[in-house]
Amino acid sequence: MTDEFDTVSEDDLHAYVDGQLSQPERERIEAWLEKHPARAQEVREWQTQAAALQEHFAPYARGDEGDRALVSVRRRRNQGGVDSGPTPMFRRIAAGLLIFAAGALAGMYTPGILAPVRSPEMAASPDSLPRQAQSAFLVYASEVRHPVEVGADQQAHLATWLGKRLDYGLKIPDLAALGFSLVGGRLIPVNGTAGAMLMYEDGTGQRLTVLLGRNRDNRETSFRIASQGGSLETFYWIDGEIGYAVTGEVPRSLLQKVADECYRQFEGAEAS
Amino acid sequence: MSRGHDGSDAGAGADASAPDAFEEDVLALMPALRRYSRSLARSDSDGDDLLQDCVEKVLTRRRQWRGVNLRAWAFTIMTNLYRNHHRHRARHPEVDYEEGLSLVAEEQGADPLQRRRLERALDRLSPENRAVLMLVVIEGYRYQDVAEMMVIPIGTVMSRLSRARRQLAEAMKDDNVVALRRPK
Repeated sequence: MTDEFDTVSEDDLHAYVDGQLSQPERERIEAWLEKHPARAQEVREWQTQAAALQEHFAPYARGDEGDRALVSVRRRRNQGGVDSGPTPMFRRIAAGLLIFAAGALAGMYTPGILAPVRSPEMAASPDSLPRQAQSAFLVYASEVRHPVEVGADQQAHLATWLGKRLDYGLKIPDLAALGFSLVGGRLIPVNGTAGAMLMYEDGTGQRLTVLLGRNRDNRETSFRIASQGGSLETFYWIDGEIGYAVTGEVPRSLLQKVADECYRQFEGAEAS
Repeated sequence: MSRGHDGSDAGAGADASAPDAFEEDVLALMPALRRYSRSLARSDSDGDDLLQDCVEKVLTRRRQWRGVNLRAWAFTIMTNLYRNHHRHRARHPEVDYEEGLSLVAEEQGADPLQRRRLERALDRLSPENRAVLMLVVIEGYRYQDVAEMMVIPIGTVMSRLSRARRQLAEAMKDDNVVALRRPK
């Protein structure tokens, strides 16, 4: 046994699994494995394991819209940062919001209201942001003990921490005027990258969440409502780099005010 | 350390939105870097942090690159960041993003329990063993390349690879039953 083992080393078996052998070497190992079923079994396990690992991580081998920004953001920062100020996109969002505001005043929330800000890209884009926002809401809003990672008592730290992870000057909206106070926030994957979830609740413990995520699918500015069958509503908007989603089990008119307020405060943070 | 050296000429006054050749090369590497970062990390968000840190280092240290094999150089930087972070983390444990992980797993359509089992088994490997395993199995590096990237003898590469494979197989066997909630 010892003698035979010497002819094929453990290293040889790894190299066989990893495809790092010449063809004659492979054949030599294969012949040896036929006579050593226990080792052959182990080799098969390693091959299966390698295939599972490759399959598991293969979907991550992709580029995305954010990559270009990541590279150039670093450079701008290195160069001392020249910011061109508010982008035209913000003006377009603002236009969208005005339409909503008009709808709110008129008490109208018909789909027709949405038509002017709908674009083909928007219609075709996956609803992943609202869907993720609603999943997050359903998971965390019902969490009694640990709804957030960092509580409202550490608000400054929360803003710095989440802002750093998102690479975005995060200002935490103050929703006190609408009766909602901050519970806290947590880091959460959005579109496969670091995103942030902020949670608020009113005096009765009614909760709503604000989700922020890097947007990679859609550079188009948009603003719209997504509903989920029952009473769960989401408002979301995208400014090209960041997507925002406000979710709650509250009346749509109230949620729209929250979205409006968040937009106003986020925009202030971004422009400054 | 090297920071004062950077950014002095990276195209000051040039069009800030047009990437230069080096940046284009880095962009081309992003898919591979993203996969490698995720294969080392405990969660998508950790992987993303590692990726961002790596890209930042690659860009700020670009003058230290010797002009050969940008991919291996970037992978080496990532590996070192990962090892350093792990040492730091051992002293300053952070929150576990387990819940976030499961949300993402559902997103991707694969069997979430199976994905989670594999992730948990990987998380039990030492960072050194995990890095060797990923460089060889996922990134397809030859043993000699891994030895050079990690500045270790090739015999150490082989023993880490062997240990990683056996520990992973053991951990997968142990973890046949998935606990949906951790006992408090």
